Amino acid sequence: MNFFEKWVSKSFKESFERDSEQQQIEPEIPLHTSLQDNIRDIKKTLGNSTDIVIREVRIGKSGDQLIGIVYTDGLADKSAITDFIMETLMLNIKGTRLDKKIQSSTNILQLLKDYALTIGDIKDVSDFKTLYNSVLSGETLILIDGHAEGLLASTRSWQDRGVTEPSAESVVRGPRESFSETMRTNTSLIRRKIKDPNLWLETRQIGRVTQTDVAIMFIKGIASDKIVDEVRARLDRIDIDGILESGYIEELIQDDTFTPFPTVFNTERPDVVAAELLEGKVAILIDGTPFVLVVPALLISFIHSPEDYYQRADISSLVRILRYIGAFISLLGPSLYVALTTFHPQMLPTAMLISIASQREGVPFPAFLEAMLMELAFEILREAGLRMPRTIGTALSVVGTLVIGQAAVEAGLVSAVMVIVVSLTAISGFVFPSYSMSSTIRMLRFPMIGLAATFGLFGIIVGLIALILHLCSLRTFGVPYMSPFAPLILTDQKDTILRFPRWALLSRPRLINEKNMIRVENELTQKLKRGE
Amino acid sequence: MRRVMVISCLFIVIVPLISGCWSKRELNELAIVVAIGIDKVGEEYEVTVQVVDPSEVSASKSSGGRTPVVMYHAKGESMFEAIRKMTTVTPRKLYFAHIRMMILGEELAVQGIGQTLDFFTRDQELRADFYVAVADQSSAKEVLSILTPLEKIPANKMFNSLKSSSEFWAPTVPTRFDELLKDLESKGRNTVLTTIRIEGDPKQGTGKENAEKINNSVHLRYSDIAVFKNEKMVGLLNEEESKGYNYIRNKVKSTAGIIACPKGGIITTEVKDSKTKVKGKMAKGKPRIDVTIRSDTSIAEVDCDINLQKTETIAELDKIASEKLKGIIEKSLDTIQHKYKVDIFGFGEAIHRADPKAWYKLEKEWEEIFPELEVKLKVDVKTKGLGTVMNSLPKKQKE
Repeated sequence: MNFFEKWVSKSFKESFERDSEQQQIEPEIPLHTSLQDNIRDIKKTLGNSTDIVIREVRIGKSGDQLIGIVYTDGLADKSAITDFIMETLMLNIKGTRLDKKIQSSTNILQLLKDYALTIGDIKDVSDFKTLYNSVLSGETLILIDGHAEGLLASTRSWQDRGVTEPSAESVVRGPRESFSETMRTNTSLIRRKIKDPNLWLETRQIGRVTQTDVAIMFIKGIASDKIVDEVRARLDRIDIDGILESGYIEELIQDDTFTPFPTVFNTERPDVVAAELLEGKVAILIDGTPFVLVVPALLISFIHSPEDYYQRADISSLVRILRYIGAFISLLGPSLYVALTTFHPQMLPTAMLISIASQREGVPFPAFLEAMLMELAFEILREAGLRMPRTIGTALSVVGTLVIGQAAVEAGLVSAVMVIVVSLTAISGFVFPSYSMSSTIRMLRFPMIGLAATFGLFGIIVGLIALILHLCSLRTFGVPYMSPFAPLILTDQKDTILRFPRWALLSRPRLINEKNMIRVENELTQKLKRGE
Repeated sequence: MRRVMVISCLFIVIVPLISGCWSKRELNELAIVVAIGIDKVGEEYEVTVQVVDPSEVSASKSSGGRTPVVMYHAKGESMFEAIRKMTTVTPRKLYFAHIRMMILGEELAVQGIGQTLDFFTRDQELRADFYVAVADQSSAKEVLSILTPLEKIPANKMFNSLKSSSEFWAPTVPTRFDELLKDLESKGRNTVLTTIRIEGDPKQGTGKENAEKINNSVHLRYSDIAVFKNEKMVGLLNEEESKGYNYIRNKVKSTAGIIACPKGGIITTEVKDSKTKVKGKMAKGKPRIDVTIRSDTSIAEVDCDINLQKTETIAELDKIASEKLKGIIEKSLDTIQHKYKVDIFGFGEAIHRADPKAWYKLEKEWEEIFPELEVKLKVDVKTKGLGTVMNSLPKKQKE
């Protein structure tokens, strides 16, 4: 048991003893035969919640068959219930042969299912646990008096934000749709892109209380079975009260907790998920969030943007190089400045040194403190900008740029070069298409400044070595995080720093896929197959 | 296992803290030295440094009316002593990594520079890419106290004008500190250094007003080349001899040359490219040097009556120019071989390269052999261009 586990478990024992109050729904309680009993139990269990609509109606020729209809207001499609359940049962079958049959038959359920309910998906239900799950996720329950069974009609439909433009990952060229909070919408967005019978979807409920739908999506035959099994196993291990966002799942299934680097990829773009699925990865969709997880996630996938594949290869290669430079500046900008000015001024050209020295003249703080203060100020501005109501946003940017930028320099508290360094670093931090990676790099910037201030360039190098060692030790669902750099896989270099033309991207990434490697069939692959 | 983890965690946290910022120097705690001058006064060294006042040089802030550089000087028996003694007058610690110019006093140069430079080779802070020059007819201290117009930092002025004059005018020799050290070590070649001279009254040049006039009265000018024998200065070469020296050393990038027209008047040529090959060889037990110079020129200015459209004229001009250049180089060779008797051309090195075995025999008596050394000169000047006009304007008007 490591230190952290000990820390967590110290306070846990107490809460363990207090636990037990919550009502547990036993898994296998069968329904009662009597409708009244059933309705009473439902009302009791749900605490007479006002959004549960319970309706008792009479059908049959003489109206002596009592049935109950239960649904959740807001989650179920009211018009579907009216048109296809209520109207059919109460009006349309009046006077038909079916009406008579209901009277006489003992198997009303089967009759209704077979002849009456003009609705797509109908399921049988015979226990309370399934009943609650279904009703609370928008299905309509039909109970028949005298039967210990009921029917569930799929009438799920609720207010949805709709498919909007992605806000966190924007592109100039490329599809403009993003996932929404409804899982069904999300799966349909992916299905629309991949119309292959091998695109498989497995759903399970996770969360004892929230009963959140979590789906695994992969392309059978392309995704490695080992990875799919590992994803299943890790999801099945989760036992938690609730899942509200994909971040919950991400933290519970990631390989390493104590690493600043994300080992699970998340995206709100269906095209990205489709592309990752085609590379043999596995997507995890969680109901209630527009962010879909993709595993395994390599370091490079956080640096690549979907647009890299939509633009021409030469342009996107250049942009990628630019992004790598941006990553470097973002990580090391202020620390290099601190190291060079406080430890190695001999490495700067004379004219530049004099110019920097003249700006630092009269600045009361050492360069390290100056860098820390400015970085901190920027981080506060950034965080405040995210959290504050949108309408005050402009006020913040004015205050931020004026006070932090100009006034601080004019007051002589901060040197102008420092402001340039910090703003360049800040802007470089946004070149990452992935928000989670840019947060990581931003966080790592601070220890780097500390190292630079204590050991100069030597400290930076030590920090970088430690960082690279750590990166090489990471794995994501069994795949080395740094691949295809470490281990070096030459065939996969076609899509790393450079992006080769589409016709040259012949195969899928090697470590993720074991079979079905060929992506493109063209003259080149045919030549290779013939052994030329 | 846990103990190891805890200890390594503590180690990581504590190490940066206990080291503090041990060799850290903030930029505003440094006095950036841009030029250093060394004089010998009696038995003592007098070290002069030119320190930048950054706030006066800055591009953005308005000038406070102070001079952009400040000079400090101190005396001491050794270089290091003098430099450390200077902290009693300097407000900050002197920082030597960004020296652009080193000026050696004439007195010191005559007495020998080897011992003096030891400190600069030993100190780890220095970059060895600054130029070294000898002060002519004045002390290094005086040279460093002249304020220059246009370029705010006099050291930068000295650095840049030495560089550009060697590129476009030729008689100066920009010697970097590391090259100087290499030359001093070399057995087959002695070193030369450019000299710098104050033009005008040195006392008037020290104030800011020297940089405030259009026609400022005091200048720093690179003049002749100082010839060193081992580590001691033995004499000067004049401008033309300096040029000759640079031709042999293959250091001419571009320069101007004046040649006489066949019918009177002069033509100025611009040397565009010049290549010199120095080859040593042993002929009948005697060392011999072949110097081949190929120089491409173009006509820069015509001040005589001549028809440049004829190829014969050009050929004639080439011949005159070759003779002229040969004359310059021969004169320079003559001065050095017979007046100073110091091999500053690296002829010894050439023999060494060509015939190492013979060189080991000659090495010891090279000083005696050098003045008698046979140098065969081959000069080939080719006119490659006439500029943007064929014949000059006056000639056209006459027609």
